[in-house]
Amino acid sequence: MPVLRLPKFGLPVKYAYITGRVRAMKTKLIPAEMYARMMNMEMAEIARYLEETQYKDEIDALSKDYSGVDLIEHATFANLAKTFRKLEEVSIDEPSFLILEYLRRWDVWNIKTIMRGKFYGATDIEIAKHLVPAGELSAEYLEELAKKDSITDIISAFDGTDYSSALAQYDGKNLASLENALDKLYYFRMERAVGGTLSVGGGLLLKYVRREVDIRNLITLFRMNKAGVDAAVILENLIPGGKLHGELSRMAGQPFGEFLRGLEGYPFWSSISDIASADMDAVSRVEARLKAYLIRYAWALSNYHPLSILPVLGYMVSKETEVSNIRKIVRGKEAGLPAELIEEQVVVA
Amino acid sequence: MAVVADAGVLYGLLAVGAGLATGLAGIGAGVGEQGIGAAVVGVVAEEPGFLGKGLFLMLLPETLIIFGLAVSLILMFAWTPFAAIVTP
Repeated sequence: MPVLRLPKFGLPVKYAYITGRVRAMKTKLIPAEMYARMMNMEMAEIARYLEETQYKDEIDALSKDYSGVDLIEHATFANLAKTFRKLEEVSIDEPSFLILEYLRRWDVWNIKTIMRGKFYGATDIEIAKHLVPAGELSAEYLEELAKKDSITDIISAFDGTDYSSALAQYDGKNLASLENALDKLYYFRMERAVGGTLSVGGGLLLKYVRREVDIRNLITLFRMNKAGVDAAVILENLIPGGKLHGELSRMAGQPFGEFLRGLEGYPFWSSISDIASADMDAVSRVEARLKAYLIRYAWALSNYHPLSILPVLGYMVSKETEVSNIRKIVRGKEAGLPAELIEEQVVVA
Repeated sequence: MAVVADAGVLYGLLAVGAGLATGLAGIGAGVGEQGIGAAVVGVVAEEPGFLGKGLFLMLLPETLIIFGLAVSLILMFAWTPFAAIVTP
């Protein structure tokens, strides 16, 4: 039975400033219909269009170092980092704490980027170009890490922190297990830090994050069940902590048709029911639909709790999606992919 | 029914009531405005053009004070039933 938790008097007011601000920022996001138009634009046109939007400062600043796809990619990432840091800086108290907990995913992303760069022998300058310092670790600290000589040096730099247990998974041959452990660590820390506070705002953040874990696991299941991977391997790749973890774990390794039938009746089923069939050739379209479902879920929840962390969360998810959509379009166009294929990957909520 | 004859005490109670009417209405409006004010400042930080509309929205709860003030004025100057009791 759900327990009704009333907010303490005055608590939602803490969120008034930041929610007002993100709702204004939301109006500056690129509208969904622009993605279709961007697909018909030349690279220079896309850069010019982005210059008319919130990305102006970054495009102007980086245009002397980069051009074409690289310019757009770096400018969008730089803007993402700037925007998220701004959200963190202009909030206080509980909102600030919760935003930082959410943004730690970019620390994980940066550590992964540095590891991958070192693993494949990239220089520290190349690695630094691809960092997105939107989380707790500062750009300077990450650049210092990138300058270290070997992966083991980087791992030892994290000694004594939470990351050390995940980084200990590195076996010298491949990064997959380490990256999995980092993802699991992120969600574990979130549960520990936010779940421990018992605050209303923290509870709402966890509600969304649990759904996000479910959707990520579901995408893993779609990919791996489609490829016919062994159940034991799939279970290793599922992230614990989701609301439907037990049910989704039982679906690991099922034949694809049976797996799809098992999904009917879940809340996300209606968003994929028209395209999910046993003979589908690629799951990328399902992935895009599921991600779009997650954005709608965050905004729908925020309608019930207008003065809470949820509008901020909805904005952050929308912004991340916008940047990844722009990246998909420009990278796809550069590689000469057909428009339909790019369109499938673009997430429109 | 016992009639309180001391006009001074009655008039004092009346003044306390009038004070509470305006004072509590003011506190209520303040509680209402704190969230609106913070939200308006947040929006204006991103969209300076919103200032006029935002100020209007922020001042809406002020109308509550006018109700309180009206009640106070009626109590102090226009509530005739009391006049009969107060007058000895």
